[in-house]
Amino acid sequence: MSFPKVLLTVGFISLFHSAFSAAQHRSYLRITSQEFTTLPLDIVIQAVGSLFAVMWGVMCIAGNLREIQAAAELNNIAWETQMNVPSFYMFNHRLRAMESSYIPTSGKGDLENLE
Amino acid sequence: MSVPLKKENVPEPIAYSEAALRNNANVLEYCRTSMSALSGSTAGVLGLTALNGFAFYMFSVVILWVMFMIKAGPNWQKYYVSRQSLLTHGFLGGLCTYVLFWTFIYGMVHVY
Repeated sequence: MSFPKVLLTVGFISLFHSAFSAAQHRSYLRITSQEFTTLPLDIVIQAVGSLFAVMWGVMCIAGNLREIQAAAELNNIAWETQMNVPSFYMFNHRLRAMESSYIPTSGKGDLENLE
Repeated sequence: MSVPLKKENVPEPIAYSEAALRNNANVLEYCRTSMSALSGSTAGVLGLTALNGFAFYMFSVVILWVMFMIKAGPNWQKYYVSRQSLLTHGFLGGLCTYVLFWTFIYGMVHVY
């Protein structure tokens, strides 16, 4: 598992844990019939810290930013890749007939019954 | 007679890639929605009420902005047209999500 996913999981678990701690603190106050003012500092720190961790994890998982300049991504492509146009591929050229090793075929009929 | 424009005054037009712009906006939207839900949950856990909760939303929006600045690095112009729109984009929509989660988790933790 990559680092952001670990961060995300740990952050979520920690956030849930702080929620349960807060609920327990509330029930403790209810049993001892005290007034609720604020949560204990450690629960607050844990909740806010895990919020930051999860936010960072989500931001890493959300994907990479792409450069918005129109030419930015084209600059990294090699000339051979850019000039690769399959429509202009040539498999047969008439200059082949000028070679000394050239064996002329009688026409299209030869191609159709090769065997 | 019209005054001829000086060549230095005309900024060179920049061509932006539409697909890259949309991709970056999607990333921002995703983070904004998640951030709203998560900070809403945290506000509910902390038991914030009234204006404190909205202040906490502002706080987390700014934190997300700072995180984006860290992610984009020093030359953020490569990824975003403006930094201000990064801060304010989707603010109210996120606020609705925030209030939803805030009230829900507050009810779960502090009321019941």
